[in-house]
Amino acid sequence: MIQRIQLLIFCLVVVVAAHGQEKKKRIPNAYHKKKQEKKDDEKFLEKQWWLGFKAGANLSNIRVDKTYSVVSPTNYDASSIAKKGYNNFDLWGSQATIEISFYFKRFLLSFQPTYQHIQFQYSNKFEWNGSTEQATNHVELSYKQLQKVDYAIFPLIVKYDVSGHRLRPYVQAGIYSAMRLSANKEVSASGIDNAAGGNNQFHTETVSVGAGDLFAKYHWGVMGGVGVNYNLGNHVRLNLDVMYKYGMSNITSTEHRYSSDRLAGVGDAMDDMKLDNLFISLGCLFPLRFLQSTLQTLDK
Amino acid sequence: MKTVYPLLLILVLAAGFSACTEDSNPQFDKKAFTKVFDNNKFDASNFPIDMRQTPDGGYLILGGRTLTDSDFVGIYLMKADENGNFVKEIEVESTAVHPIGHFSEYQTKYYFLCMDPLSQQAKIASVDANLEGVTMVDVQGGLTYPAAASFVDNNFVVVGYNNGDKLTTISIVSPDGGVLSQKGFSIGTGEDIEQPIINHYIRTGRQFPFEAGKAPNGLYYFNGFYNYTFSLVFTNMNADDPSGVVQGQQDDGGFSAVLPLSGNKFASARFNYGENFLLPNKDLSGSSITSSTDLGGYSLPELVANAKVRILRATINTKDILIYGSDTKSKQIGLLFYDGSTGEFIGSRYLGFSNPYEIASITQTLDGGLAVCGTTQLAGRFPRICIIKISKEELEGDASK
Repeated sequence: MIQRIQLLIFCLVVVVAAHGQEKKKRIPNAYHKKKQEKKDDEKFLEKQWWLGFKAGANLSNIRVDKTYSVVSPTNYDASSIAKKGYNNFDLWGSQATIEISFYFKRFLLSFQPTYQHIQFQYSNKFEWNGSTEQATNHVELSYKQLQKVDYAIFPLIVKYDVSGHRLRPYVQAGIYSAMRLSANKEVSASGIDNAAGGNNQFHTETVSVGAGDLFAKYHWGVMGGVGVNYNLGNHVRLNLDVMYKYGMSNITSTEHRYSSDRLAGVGDAMDDMKLDNLFISLGCLFPLRFLQSTLQTLDK
Repeated sequence: MKTVYPLLLILVLAAGFSACTEDSNPQFDKKAFTKVFDNNKFDASNFPIDMRQTPDGGYLILGGRTLTDSDFVGIYLMKADENGNFVKEIEVESTAVHPIGHFSEYQTKYYFLCMDPLSQQAKIASVDANLEGVTMVDVQGGLTYPAAASFVDNNFVVVGYNNGDKLTTISIVSPDGGVLSQKGFSIGTGEDIEQPIINHYIRTGRQFPFEAGKAPNGLYYFNGFYNYTFSLVFTNMNADDPSGVVQGQQDDGGFSAVLPLSGNKFASARFNYGENFLLPNKDLSGSSITSSTDLGGYSLPELVANAKVRILRATINTKDILIYGSDTKSKQIGLLFYDGSTGEFIGSRYLGFSNPYEIASITQTLDGGLAVCGTTQLAGRFPRICIIKISKEELEGDASK
């Protein structure tokens, strides 16, 4: 949470600083000024490199390909203990991105290395019942498993500026490769024990387990989205970017699925799954050509 | 045309990205796994005795189960597939009880001994690799209270107990139930010495590590009660007296596991008043009377008192390795690796966490890995059979430290 606030503050500072560089000019003639600006823009934008910084939040969605479990039932249906309630689009993550883009005739080829922190959670439940004569012997045990994973994302994106002058909406599509940096799992258990003579509800302390090996080192996917740039007046742009990442490969390490004795002890094995993310980012883009140290473009 | 280049670049990168990712691989599913076989009945209580891998890569587990109509435990059999997933189980009727290891493979069938709950006469039971059904054959002759068996030279070597004459018996039994040879050795006189034996059979007391087999020097041996002590007894199956005895300390000391290596060499483990000692390469005399307390051994204070020990001789990466498996005080299954020819310690590995684990059996798998069968306590309270499979690569790492 603190990280997210810091990123937002950073973006706001950059935006305010950039806006402060704008020079107020006298306007001799509105028509001629607008015409000149458009001409300058065309020249300015004909070929341009952009450097940007953005940060924001993301929500995760899990698509399960194949379910795995440490517990193999002998007298009941395995689906009853399958992981349920993948809390999709529920837990916020965060990301910070450096954008390097090349503009050419409304198209941008953009490389956007990103640090991404994601979170998703699932739960599963086990139940044991006594025979008819011992019907009060009933125990329920529920596990909540929270995954926190950090990735380095390397997207390559093509953007197309739809229209506009100061406000320039765009559409974008691309691909990305993700490298897992670290991962943790937090497991908490709660349950009901009716066998102890009453309705005994219990909770266990949350156990945090390093789970880097349980996640695939690399995965990849495609991405698409929309965004809008707002020209602050000196060609420094404020950028709002919305992107949906669609995972194309498994994020679980199939080789190390059962490698954590701690997690096997609580009956957990990671499913084969793909990860989608909805990103919302806010940032700034700076032109690299014709740029003075004062952030004023040379062609103005 | 130039605008197509970025798209082409993206396609090329996509191909590159997809090449270095991890997709589902069925090979990994069977290489290493942990499986716990759960029954949702509150009072279900099965425990494993021994496990064998079948030619299809699956696993057959011989186990016991609590009976309500007998003092003895019933027979439980389970089949898991190559990925460790439950396939089927058989709860054998209580007309046969007290299953014992080893679970032995012979001519496509898997054999174990059990006994009649009323007469205590031994029976030979067999199942096929798919666990289609259980076949029982009565052992013809006076073999009662079987305690442990091994399969040597196409026959069973069985240690049993004759409670009428207070004898520990060792018998050579053919797979069709014929007793080819039998010798009995007195446990001593008095109820005190018999009580722990009876408690072993009805599982109200300590489970003693009975063993029986044939040493490379041609002598048969059993680990059981003889002359008031839990001893390792050698016999040529002809003489009425043992050829040699390694005596224990009444029922407070003796061998917890023995595995013949070559000549008089054995890999063994012993217990003594709760302490545990491993002897990965030790000469045991089959022709004299000695005491196990004189054998020394590596002291393992991390093991539970009088720990159950399993020894497996395996070839790992062309090396002769002895794997000792036992139960630790921290409720894990400890695996200790020793050089099979020198007895030198190589490394260790501990399995299980969070829930308690206890060992029942270890076996080397067809793919060069290791499968450990044991009991864990689901939710900390429900004893359930488990299999922990270690991949060949992990095992080679453990055995080469």
